[in-house]
Amino acid sequence: MTNILEVKNLQARIAGNTILNGLDLTVRAGEVHAIMGPNGSGKSTLAQVIAGHADYEVLGGSVTYMGKDLLELEPEERAREGVFLGFQYPVEIPGVNNAYLLKAAVNAKRRHNGQEEIDAFEFLKIARERMALLGMDASFLNRGVNEGFSGGEKKRNEILQMAMLEPTLAILDETDSGLDIDALKAVANGVNALRDPERAIVLVTHYQRLLDYIEPDHVHVLSKGKIIRSGDKTLALELENRGYEWVQEAASA
Amino acid sequence: MNVSALDQELFAAVIHAMPSDELSPVRNQAANQFSSLGFPTTRDEDWKYTNLSAAAEISNAWLRNRMDAAAATPSLPPPEVARPEILNQMDAHWLIIRNGSIDSSSLAELQNSLGPDIEFSKLSEQTDSTHINIDDPMSAMNAALLIDGLRLQVGANVEVSKPLGILQIDDPSQQASQIRIVIDLGENSRLQVIECALSADSGMQFSNAVTEASLARAATLEFVRIQTRSEQHIGVNRLIASLARDATLRHNAFDFGGALTRNDISVNIAGENAAAHLHGLYLASGKQHIDNHTRVEHRVGPAISNEEYRGVLNGRSRGVFNGQAVVFEGADGTDANQANHNLLLSDHAEIDTKPELEIYADDVKCSHGATVGQLDESSLFYLRSRGLDQDTARHLLTQAFAAGILAKLAVEESRNYLVDILDRRLSEVLDAG
Ligand SMILES: Nc1ncnc2c1ncn2[C@@H]1O[C@H](COP(=O)(O)OP(=O)(O)OP(=O)(O)O)[C@@H](O)[C@H]1O
Ligand SMILES: [Mg+2]
Repeated sequence: MTNILEVKNLQARIAGNTILNGLDLTVRAGEVHAIMGPNGSGKSTLAQVIAGHADYEVLGGSVTYMGKDLLELEPEERAREGVFLGFQYPVEIPGVNNAYLLKAAVNAKRRHNGQEEIDAFEFLKIARERMALLGMDASFLNRGVNEGFSGGEKKRNEILQMAMLEPTLAILDETDSGLDIDALKAVANGVNALRDPERAIVLVTHYQRLLDYIEPDHVHVLSKGKIIRSGDKTLALELENRGYEWVQEAASA
Repeated sequence: MNVSALDQELFAAVIHAMPSDELSPVRNQAANQFSSLGFPTTRDEDWKYTNLSAAAEISNAWLRNRMDAAAATPSLPPPEVARPEILNQMDAHWLIIRNGSIDSSSLAELQNSLGPDIEFSKLSEQTDSTHINIDDPMSAMNAALLIDGLRLQVGANVEVSKPLGILQIDDPSQQASQIRIVIDLGENSRLQVIECALSADSGMQFSNAVTEASLARAATLEFVRIQTRSEQHIGVNRLIASLARDATLRHNAFDFGGALTRNDISVNIAGENAAAHLHGLYLASGKQHIDNHTRVEHRVGPAISNEEYRGVLNGRSRGVFNGQAVVFEGADGTDANQANHNLLLSDHAEIDTKPELEIYADDVKCSHGATVGQLDESSLFYLRSRGLDQDTARHLLTQAFAAGILAKLAVEESRNYLVDILDRRLSEVLDAG
């Protein structure tokens, strides 16, 4: 199996604070990984560094995506190459139409891949289909990006964008937080629909319940900017029962 | 400090040489007024940030030319000019004002097509000229040097079906122009105006325009002004509006061009339940200077005024906003809101914003606020993380900022044209840095 993402000894800081302290992670095609860990351990930092947020400074190590040095690319180039980040806190952008952004995003990727821009009719058809799958009303297309969306609606909108962009690597940062049971199932459906031998998915989550719907191949514990333990799906269950302390103690021993 | 002044001798000579017509008494009175007031200087609180000395210089050159031209060739017919393309882009009845003088044939055409709904006349040809405002220096200069001036009267209960388009176009060879439009709206009447101010070519220009609007009971005036002057143009634009009971004014000022632009709006709320909605959008780059001064006087209540101006400033451009709302004693039930929001896209751009409230009544609801900021970094990153390049993302976010004003557009017929030039102008402003 090919490596989709290879993170080696990654060190990164923000505002003078070093958050990632030599992180290693390898994600192969077809796999679903879950990253868990205490608040403030650096999960979102890892996600943001992979997406290319300029506020995070990479101090050392490497991030290789599909054999390319990801850190060399601008955020938009990463997106067009097939990297998608579902934000923990999606921003509201009043005045920018949701459908417009979706279509612009799809077309940016298509142009990058030498494909023709999507036909407006075709676009609407696909968007409506995928929205139905996610239990989203079509009227969300005509609103400002996340403008006035409830917490759960924002997360669904992230998954809609993912579904339209069909990324090779999707990193979903706590997309399950704040979702009601129906929304959780809808989001899980969206993610499972994307599962494919050619793609990979990284779920950042605090809860086992998401993993009931999306079964991970690997589960990692991130603590103080490092992955301190990896295992299969049973690790998530164990964490649910025992918390993080025992893993942290074992790691520092 | 203002160093230039108008050459008094030349000024007097030009006034003297103006034709003798209905405006003559006003011109003389206004000339005296202007001679004693002079150009405003930056020592005047109201003109602190906006220096008109270049306008004075242009005006002197223009006066000199006028004297020379009058001596050499008394009356050459004006050259034929092509119908500007802009007239085909908006569904309106158009009147052309070129270099401050009204195009007689388009006026006659208008009178024909708008029939009895609107009565058009030239101020230079009508008898009653008492309402011509000469209170402030620029209005006085305007009246003193006015060639003709437009008066339009809409009768009671008349709803003019199609917008009136007023094209103000100036040739740099003419250097300076004075434009005066006097609008009288009868009771319960309605008029929409799209005013486009542009330059026929680049070159030094100064235009000094005054619009006076009097709205009788329950009249509605919806007025969109779109300014796309050349980069060497200096424009001073004044609007003086008076609203009787139940009257509504919606005014939009879109300023996209010009080297230096000063808009002065005075609204007198003189009747209960009158409403004034003032919305403006300015985009500037390079060394452009745009100054919006508004003053709303609430003399009676209840009545509403809503005001919001937004600006996008890049390069070394400078914006000025001064919004005054004055609520007079007894004007209870006044609801006055004012906001000015600015996007500063460069470290060298500057905005001086000052909302001012003066309240002498007890039962009022007033709000005011000003913001100055940059494009939101997390929004930018969000858009880029979806594959949009930086320029597109910046453009989209700036457009979204401007959309807040477009949402208040007073004359729908101007929308397509506006959206189109806004889009182009935004790209220029963002690229110019
Ligand atoms: N702009 C910033 N300035 C200073 N510290 C920051 C900044 N952004 C993040 N941090 C710090 O970096 C650390 C890691 O944050 P991160 O968001 O990656 O945590 P997380 O693992 O995603 O936590 P959570 O589970 O709460 O989402 C935190 O201690 C946080 O306070
Ligand atoms: Mg987080």
